[in-house]
Amino acid sequence: MAISKKPFAALAASALALSVAACGGSDDNGGGGGNSDNKSAAGSKGGTAIFFNGVRNTEHWDPQRMYIGRDLNNSGRLFYRSLVAYPASNDAKEGTTPVADLATDTGKTDDGGKTWQFTVRDDVKWQDGKPITCEDFKYGASRNFATDVIIGGPANYLFTYLDIPQGKDGLPVYDGPYKKDNQDLFDKAVTCDGQTITYHMKKVWPDFPQSIASLRYLDPYRQDLDKGDASNFQIISNGPYKLDGNWTEGTGGTFVRNENWDESTDPIRKALPDKWEFREGDQDEAIYDQLLADSGDAQFGVTERRLPPTDYGRIDEVKDRYTQVESPFVDYLLPNFNSPVFKDKACREALAMATSRASWIQAGGGDRAFKPAYSVINPSVPGYTENPKFKSIPDEGDPAGAKAKLAECSAPKPVKIKFTYSGGTPTSDKQASALKDAWDKAGFVTELDPLQDTYYSVIQKPDADFDVTWAGWGADWPSVGTVIPPLFDSRINITKSSNGNDYGNYKGGPEVDSAIDAAYAEADLDKAAQDWAGVDAKLSDDVAYIPLEITIFNFLHGSKITGYSNNVSTNGYADLAVIGVSK
Amino acid sequence: MFAYLVRRIIGGIVLLIVMSLVTFALFFASPVNPADFSCGKNCSPAQKKQTAAALGFDDNFFNQWADFGKGVFVGRDFPDDPKLRETAPETIAHCPAPCLGYSRERTANVTSLIKETLPVSVSLAILAFIIWIVGGVLFGVIAALRRGTIIDRGLVGISLVLYAFPTFFVGLLLYKFVAIKWGWVDIPRYETIADGGITGWASSLILPAITLAVFFMAAYVRMTRAYVIESLSEDYVRTARAKGLPARAVTFKHALRAALTPIVTMAGLDFAGLLGGAIITESVFNYPGLGKLAVQANRDYDLPTLVGLVLLLAAFVIIANIIVDVLYAVIDPRVRLS
Amino acid sequence: MSDTSTKHDAFLRVEDLRVHFPTADGVVKATDGLSFELARGKTLGIVGESGSGKSVSSSAILGLHRGTRAQVSGQILLEDVDLLQLSDEEMRRRRGLDVAMIFQDPLSAMHPYYTVGNQLVEAYRVHNNVSKKAARTRAIEMLERVGIPQPDRRVDDYPHQFSGGMRQRAMIAMGLINNPGLLIADEPTTALDVTVQAQILDLLQDLQREFNSAIIIITHDLGVVAEMADQVLVMYAGKAVEYGPTKELLVRPEMPYTWGLLSSVPDVTADTDSKLIPIPGNPPSLLNPPSGCAFHPRCPHKDKVPGRLCWTVQPELVPGRQGMGHLKRCHLPDPDQVYALEVLPEFDPELASELAQARIPDPAADAAAGPAAGPAAGTAAGTATPDTADERDAQ
Repeated sequence: MAISKKPFAALAASALALSVAACGGSDDNGGGGGNSDNKSAAGSKGGTAIFFNGVRNTEHWDPQRMYIGRDLNNSGRLFYRSLVAYPASNDAKEGTTPVADLATDTGKTDDGGKTWQFTVRDDVKWQDGKPITCEDFKYGASRNFATDVIIGGPANYLFTYLDIPQGKDGLPVYDGPYKKDNQDLFDKAVTCDGQTITYHMKKVWPDFPQSIASLRYLDPYRQDLDKGDASNFQIISNGPYKLDGNWTEGTGGTFVRNENWDESTDPIRKALPDKWEFREGDQDEAIYDQLLADSGDAQFGVTERRLPPTDYGRIDEVKDRYTQVESPFVDYLLPNFNSPVFKDKACREALAMATSRASWIQAGGGDRAFKPAYSVINPSVPGYTENPKFKSIPDEGDPAGAKAKLAECSAPKPVKIKFTYSGGTPTSDKQASALKDAWDKAGFVTELDPLQDTYYSVIQKPDADFDVTWAGWGADWPSVGTVIPPLFDSRINITKSSNGNDYGNYKGGPEVDSAIDAAYAEADLDKAAQDWAGVDAKLSDDVAYIPLEITIFNFLHGSKITGYSNNVSTNGYADLAVIGVSK
Repeated sequence: MFAYLVRRIIGGIVLLIVMSLVTFALFFASPVNPADFSCGKNCSPAQKKQTAAALGFDDNFFNQWADFGKGVFVGRDFPDDPKLRETAPETIAHCPAPCLGYSRERTANVTSLIKETLPVSVSLAILAFIIWIVGGVLFGVIAALRRGTIIDRGLVGISLVLYAFPTFFVGLLLYKFVAIKWGWVDIPRYETIADGGITGWASSLILPAITLAVFFMAAYVRMTRAYVIESLSEDYVRTARAKGLPARAVTFKHALRAALTPIVTMAGLDFAGLLGGAIITESVFNYPGLGKLAVQANRDYDLPTLVGLVLLLAAFVIIANIIVDVLYAVIDPRVRLS
Repeated sequence: MSDTSTKHDAFLRVEDLRVHFPTADGVVKATDGLSFELARGKTLGIVGESGSGKSVSSSAILGLHRGTRAQVSGQILLEDVDLLQLSDEEMRRRRGLDVAMIFQDPLSAMHPYYTVGNQLVEAYRVHNNVSKKAARTRAIEMLERVGIPQPDRRVDDYPHQFSGGMRQRAMIAMGLINNPGLLIADEPTTALDVTVQAQILDLLQDLQREFNSAIIIITHDLGVVAEMADQVLVMYAGKAVEYGPTKELLVRPEMPYTWGLLSSVPDVTADTDSKLIPIPGNPPSLLNPPSGCAFHPRCPHKDKVPGRLCWTVQPELVPGRQGMGHLKRCHLPDPDQVYALEVLPEFDPELASELAQARIPDPAADAAAGPAAGPAAGTAAGTATPDTADERDAQ
């Protein structure tokens, strides 16, 4: 994704990537498509497979704290199971529809999503042989509320929905299983009846099961093994593999078979290799030097790191091990609604028309790296529709139309604007210059303002003085509800000191707010998708954002890997549930 | 000498205290709030505040620094939350003295992080040091003695080129060709002496050590050459020749002895700097040493780890300075006796 | 061997010695055709400014230019063996054994990291196959001989723990530890206090008598020469410009450069009328030496030579008026006259008047010098100085 090439690098990348959980990488798009290596899908058991984790360390293996797509995927495929999960499928529909995993069903609701009920299987065990109980799930959910210990996860979703009141400090009054203040409120919100767990919401949450399948925040947890923060890298497996020894941050760890996992209870995970070795800390160049050469144990290697653009020229040598996948991310521009220029809609319109996606993409590595985007919503998210307004502007921009529109802009001429972006690398600076050229052609006078480490701190300030900025996003689970509201709902984003993720300080007003609420409340997910499309239309009408591109993933894997697939069920990353190794 | 040492050590400790203050101050001056990074993307302002409090970043600068100081002498608990200690004591991590802090990012005491990573950096530093000192001094002396010849020009030229090569590039080149393409060595992966024996340890280190040594070696060739040439023109070298000493004795006993003094000084300080981790080399080869730890800590805004590493490195440099001064006195009687 | 030794009684004979340094800009002729002789027990003083080639010449005798780019030619016969024909190894064996050298600044000339004893022992053992212990005994003996107090203790001191005079004594001890037949002392007293200078010179003379060594003493200090040397060789621009017995040469110098050197020597006994007159200008470039007489650009008397001889023709080193033993390289036809009438009164009026009285009965000198230089000398020496003095008084 674009962000990974920028200096803010892993920080921003983690912040972004982690917000991805699901996506349906559609096979039918023109961007190359995930070509699953299905010819050797019926792999045999045995051997050791290697996963190259890359330089970005796994920050948490604690299910309630994980929030990075890579780690959510991999752990869900190898050692963590939850109530529901996605099947290993690259079908846009099948791959994004949860199936029962540790539960016997995919969740029941009688009230449109306000109360959710799951029944935990009786025949599933932890790695130490103890049965997995309803209480384990309840305990796992409670950990989300210990905001002073369990830090970094997606708990905020639970705070929004679970029926626990908010205190004066803006946090739920229940503070988790350690301090146990107002434990009774939690005990009422999440209840166990035998193996049946019930979640009581404040408001309807139709796609609750998707959030469980995409994230790990409602995974079960063992109270007797919980050491709070110290459990960060403790892996209590209930899946086919368990950690052998310790996880060493920066180096990795080895996973071996978990004898207490019963294959018959698990339709998703094939668990072919006897061992999974996770290697952490290798530079992309080092990983791909090995993969390109297919040398040594890299033959058994899989990675989530992308082929560096400098190696694109060698793709032909390794065609049979190369995969191109459309990522679940969209990069986009945000006009600042607090800026003296872009508070005027005509000026925003002019900017949108002047923007050349094509030159931005060209400067960033061409069509092997990016594909033009026509909405802030990624095509893999169910309910995605091309935004007609953005589609109507040519990829190269419309300088003449922009010029005309700019004449209507109320800002003093020439219109001077400042573009603040996450810069400092040659590619990011080249891309910014490409944008500037296009804008200036239409009559803007653009000042480039590359920022590095301080980027997000700066653009999150409501009084920041940029006119336009850059951002990227991916859905947390396959729902527009994890795209539009987190980015543009001013009610949850904008406070006095911060604009949250609404860097453009966009305030939709009552009309947009109520449209968002309505879409949220729609229990029929297809109908909800239509509602979201309506919100997106309004956003484009306001020019709340200008979509740029969808990142394309370029992957290689080792020659001894079998069943290699980049499934939509794992956001386009390699699906470790079905991968095996040949001798 | 003893009084001098005591004075130096006290001075070093004062310097360390100042360094810790400066490091803290630098982080406070940074516009980036480390708590925001720990909190993650989907994090409300209330959660951010809570996170800052839990990580101890909400207190004022001086108190945080004082807590750190206290930890060094008596140890600390993380988080230092009385309520949590009462209700869930198993979640409190104790960091025994000397506690350099607790990294929430890595869920470990900084002292234990250092204990894990230091051997890697020290191994790397030692091997690289041997390569660069032997190579650098040897080639430097050869160049000086063959001054003006093809050999001299070749050595100086090569070292200039190598000196200009970025370490990153040298490392990747070695990695790509020696390890992957030609397969002369295994893909470098750190092995402890306990796991791989001395040979396993050394062979796992050879490429990174060469990478690291190249830069220093190039510098030392030029430096040694300059010092030896200078020393060869000293009056006492002429005296030695006038006495009828054989050329080898003149060169090695008289000229080199004096030329090596400044080299020892430099080498001591450079070595100490390396003990604090070879940032680029360790990153390129993915060696879990102090340098890589520092890179990651910097990336993650892992303040406790960074402070610990800065102080450790400062301590190394201060100690090395003292050792070098003592060594200097051993080598040069003028320093010793005056 | 016996045949040649009867032919020349000189212990050291240097013939047409040339030391040339090829550089990128051309050849630097540091020493260019130097010849002299020296007998055992005798002392030769080589005098000249820095850069005149005196140190280079003595280094050549020691063979210290071997292994450098210097081109050394001519002959250096030590007991009729041409040192320039020896192999490097043969020369090395003689260094410190047959020919020793002591250097100007004993602090930098001794290795700072080794004890004095260590350095003496090293000098002894390199030519004598003896135990360290025996060598140490010898070193202590030598230190005692050169007057180091408590030599058995000081032997383990480092050079920087010695005073300047003691260091020079130690250097002398090191130079003489192998009883060399020839000792070259390169500015042995320059770095020392005046009182210590005298002690060191006395010591050298004592030792010379004791060991019957030949000594070459290189200096720019004519006082040292007067005290030490039997013969003096004045060098300028790599060449000898005056050469003769010390007494003769100092009393009747015949070359303006020597006059300049003499008038630059401060004399505590001289009265206040005497002046120090530095030689004007700078030492010549050895890369492009001046045409004709190398000294002519600085010579105040070049106009007294008819024609532009000083500019065009290099004078030969030939016997002067005092006889065969005293050679000079100068075109001046009547140097005695010029010296007595112009130069001497300037820097030593007392001696000048004494000499003038003594010279009156010497008609030959007067006759030769009178018409050519007389009047000019009169104005220069006789009137110029009083004039200046008058002006000063008037103010």
